Amino acid sequence: MLGRARSLGRRVLGVRRTPTYYLPWLVRPGLECVLVVNNVESRFKTGFNRGPFAVAVVQYDARGAVVGRHNVELDDPTATAEVRLDAEGSNAGFATVAGARIFSDQYVTLSDGTAYTATHGRHEFVERYPRVLRILLGLAGALAAAAGRTLPLFVKDQYLYLGAGVRSHLLVMNLSNVANRVRVVVTGERGVRVERVMKLRPMGSHLLDVSRLGIVAAEATLVVRARLEANAWFNLYVVGAGRNDLEGPLSFMHVK
Amino acid sequence: MSSDRCALLSATFWEAGYEHLIETVHQRDALARRNLDGLEIAVHDPGGALLGEKSVDPRQEVLDLGALVEEIAGGAPRAMVTLEARYDERVFPYRPHHYAFLHRPGSDAPPLYYAVNAVLGGVPDRIGATTINNFETYVFRQRPFAARYAVLLGNLARFAAAEAQVATYYGGQRVLVEVALAPKSHREIDLPSERDGRRLERVEVKALFRLASYVVGRRADSGDLVLFDHLFTYIK
Repeated sequence: MLGRARSLGRRVLGVRRTPTYYLPWLVRPGLECVLVVNNVESRFKTGFNRGPFAVAVVQYDARGAVVGRHNVELDDPTATAEVRLDAEGSNAGFATVAGARIFSDQYVTLSDGTAYTATHGRHEFVERYPRVLRILLGLAGALAAAAGRTLPLFVKDQYLYLGAGVRSHLLVMNLSNVANRVRVVVTGERGVRVERVMKLRPMGSHLLDVSRLGIVAAEATLVVRARLEANAWFNLYVVGAGRNDLEGPLSFMHVK
Repeated sequence: MSSDRCALLSATFWEAGYEHLIETVHQRDALARRNLDGLEIAVHDPGGALLGEKSVDPRQEVLDLGALVEEIAGGAPRAMVTLEARYDERVFPYRPHHYAFLHRPGSDAPPLYYAVNAVLGGVPDRIGATTINNFETYVFRQRPFAARYAVLLGNLARFAAAEAQVATYYGGQRVLVEVALAPKSHREIDLPSERDGRRLERVEVKALFRLASYVVGRRADSGDLVLFDHLFTYIK
């Protein structure tokens, strides 16, 4: 019922959802981020199993600016191509992957040169709001932000893990063409509560460093609850960090 | 348990030395609007023998798998752990997911966070897997790394043995390994990173029915896990 009402609301307001496949990217000193492009899952799908396949990767940085365009071609469904994702002066964001006959999950890898961790992207959508709605959302968002709030049109809950040698950070991605104010409420042990409001530019991202939230990590791994509310469509990836935190090897993981 | 509940059977593999925490409901909100009606855990050794089982309070948010395996199975170097969840389909728009946190304390490797492999059940017309889902694949990076790769396969059937084929590809060369799995048994099948100077490109797993399956990567120096991921179905 709620889903139908939201769908009707989007139609009335002129909000468009563009199907989009996206993955996160992140670079740090000594850490390489490589996208593994493939079409292997389409191998037995009629119309999708004969190459070549053209693939277009568009890389957005944390400010939402396009910082890279990578066009690759796969000769056949079992071919892979590796695309290094980095950008001058920028260290995180997301990349979209598109191709008329690409029908497979793509992988993003993070490597310290010795080994790599990997996860896959998500086939979802980007929401595009008409100009008037963008202005209204901007005004309402600014008012709400003054009170430390946002318009909670989209909400996600996520557990985070903090310990002496582990952290799970969050890469929060604004999948819309409107400025997105994301309010994060983290509840730790004994009800300790930390709140932040982040403003993400259209198609921008923010690496939320949980070490800076003021929740003290104990020797044993602490599970804390994060709730994220936003005024426009967004999603997140968990960034796993070990003993050297964001200066060491990292892992990415999608959530639902 | 009432038979009008939906059921989802998921499985993971537990190894000694790792902190392994399982979220019984991924992205559960503070008010627990997303909730399970029941959760049964069973632990099996590599040969399929039942080491122990337990009903878990479905209100529990995060399970410490190490403590649970120790409690109900008395410890084991490695075990297959099954999670049988019962739930009301109106509560979950898709199906419940169990996600997990995995890390070896003291290791330099980053923690891994993964989706526990859903093997049987769910809401059939909404699960997104109405086509064949027992023919899976995974691709690897092509430059050399100091890591070892494997697939972990488990047979969740109660009565039927499973025969699986694990095929690895090195350039044009295909290497096939046949794996027989007794009910509830599991095995780790090594995937050599190189063969005749060619890098491991991809792995395929085929079976007559769906198995619990993970691609596993370990650092060569420490053995620490760096990959613990599900494969992808060929036919969507």
